Amino acid sequence: MRSKILAIVTLLALSASAQEGTRSVHLLGVGNTNILDTYLSQEKYKGDGFTYLYIREGATPEKRWNNVIEHELDFSTTEDRSKTTTELEAGYNLYWGRYRQWRLLDDHLRLQAGGLINGTLGIIYHTSSANNPVQARVALNLMPSGIATYDFRLWKQHFTARYELNVPLLGVMFSPNYGQSYYEIFSLGNYDHNVVPTTFVSAPTFRQQLTLDWQTGDRIAIRIGYLGNYQQAAVNNLKQHVYANRFLIGIVVKR
Amino acid sequence: MRVYHPYHIWQRVKAAAFLPFYLFTFLLFSCVDTQEYENTPQGNFEALWKIIDEHYCFLDYKHQAYGLDWQQVYNIYNVRARGDLSSYQLFEVLTGMLSELRDGHVNLYTSFDNGRYWKWHEDYPANFSDTLQRRYLGTDYRLASGMQYRILDDNIGYLYVGSFANTIGESTLDEIIKYFAFCNGMIIDIRGNGGGNLTSAETLAARFCQEKTLTGYIQHKTGKGHNDFSEMEPQYMEPSSRFRWQKPVAVLTNREVFSAANDFVMIMKCFPLVKTVGDQTGGGSGLPFTSTLPNGWTVRFSACPTYDHNRQQVEFGIAPDYEVSLTDDDFRQGKDTLIEFARKLLVE
Repeated sequence: MRSKILAIVTLLALSASAQEGTRSVHLLGVGNTNILDTYLSQEKYKGDGFTYLYIREGATPEKRWNNVIEHELDFSTTEDRSKTTTELEAGYNLYWGRYRQWRLLDDHLRLQAGGLINGTLGIIYHTSSANNPVQARVALNLMPSGIATYDFRLWKQHFTARYELNVPLLGVMFSPNYGQSYYEIFSLGNYDHNVVPTTFVSAPTFRQQLTLDWQTGDRIAIRIGYLGNYQQAAVNNLKQHVYANRFLIGIVVKR
Repeated sequence: MRVYHPYHIWQRVKAAAFLPFYLFTFLLFSCVDTQEYENTPQGNFEALWKIIDEHYCFLDYKHQAYGLDWQQVYNIYNVRARGDLSSYQLFEVLTGMLSELRDGHVNLYTSFDNGRYWKWHEDYPANFSDTLQRRYLGTDYRLASGMQYRILDDNIGYLYVGSFANTIGESTLDEIIKYFAFCNGMIIDIRGNGGGNLTSAETLAARFCQEKTLTGYIQHKTGKGHNDFSEMEPQYMEPSSRFRWQKPVAVLTNREVFSAANDFVMIMKCFPLVKTVGDQTGGGSGLPFTSTLPNGWTVRFSACPTYDHNRQQVEFGIAPDYEVSLTDDDFRQGKDTLIEFARKLLVE
């Protein structure tokens, strides 16, 4: 019964979000990734990363409250400083946010403040290790968030600059204990602080996007920009960070 | 149109300008980072010493067992790691330092050599000869999931498991037990088995378990201190829900029985119908982890200790129920002393 209700709610949410007055954004990103995971290695790994980012947000001017949903898929291949060993990183981040919006400067400036829920699923794979080579990344975060959007005209063209910032507050994440093996967690079922509550101190994860849209038509715009996703955690005496810097390019479709 | 007072606009601009400053300050002090050692002989030495100091799980136990003093090891090898060493010289120094741990699970992997400590079997007789084994197995033995088996002429089933690196299929075990069904006993020869997957060892052992049995304990480190450990968690073996062997069993061991194979012996010794024959096992009771050095070399080390059902360490091996060695006389006669002893034991 519960799964049926969940399915109905999901369908309603999808149909509601597909209605008019929404803006859909498809972006591809390329850039660098910096990984540290002391469970796998004491060394930092750096390399190339790729991102697909989908954003759907409300675009109705008169609405006070807007929902924003973002799906972010990441893949990175990184090496240590000696270029000898490799870590691969893959992850999916879901961001669902709700914002109160204010329109200023004759509606040229739109400020949005609110919060979002971030769900993370991913892995880091240390290719040189035969024993315990994988770190799973599962987290749920509550992040205060703000978006500033500014419309302007330049050279008779219509542009929109947008900045989004997500900062950490509270969350919960999966982590093995300091020297605990995945065999002990999953084969033997021994729990030891593997679901860890986090705060902005123990998991100071930030994310920001700075983008510029060039309106090429009534409903279509080309977007370029920067995405910085700095995921960090220090729990169970382990340290982890995955810093992703991406140059973004894609399209914006307004319905 | 709304009119903004210049003062209010200035206040907002000021607030907006300071926001990045506050944010930058917060970001600066909230970076989750570590100290990286320099990629020099000294830096690599320091990094390796620290990895072992903070993660290796037997430092306290080995201090009690044979007086290992990891700080003293630092003082000795720190001097040797100084200067302009070549990669080969550095490898020699670092491997020498790791050898102080006397652990077969500790390795240093480089592109030109694998640092290792194998004295746990190299300093002892092998007690195993594949030439002799061939006299028992012949050439028409059965082979499945990497295991070789046949029925010996005195109606004893002989199963050789040379490694647990292969996944052992449940159907394969069903077939083996069915094949041995009318035998008077079974010999499981694991001599030379250096380990592999723990789950393979457990899958096989479950076929000899008749009721839920406490087989050992496991711990893991919870912090950097040498004695920062979790509680000992008991490990239980549940009987297999498929065909089980309910007759006497002799497990043949030698010093090369290590890691997952050592665990197999530890579990099998908990079952009343099982006896072990041969030499003490090689040990290796720590579940290994790996890490990397600044120069890209990979180090493997024991991270999670396991204990037998009496909470005793089995890192340096498990003594057999019957200590039997391969004799020269038997070798000359083409007999494997351990197999012959086990056959008599099972018949009796």
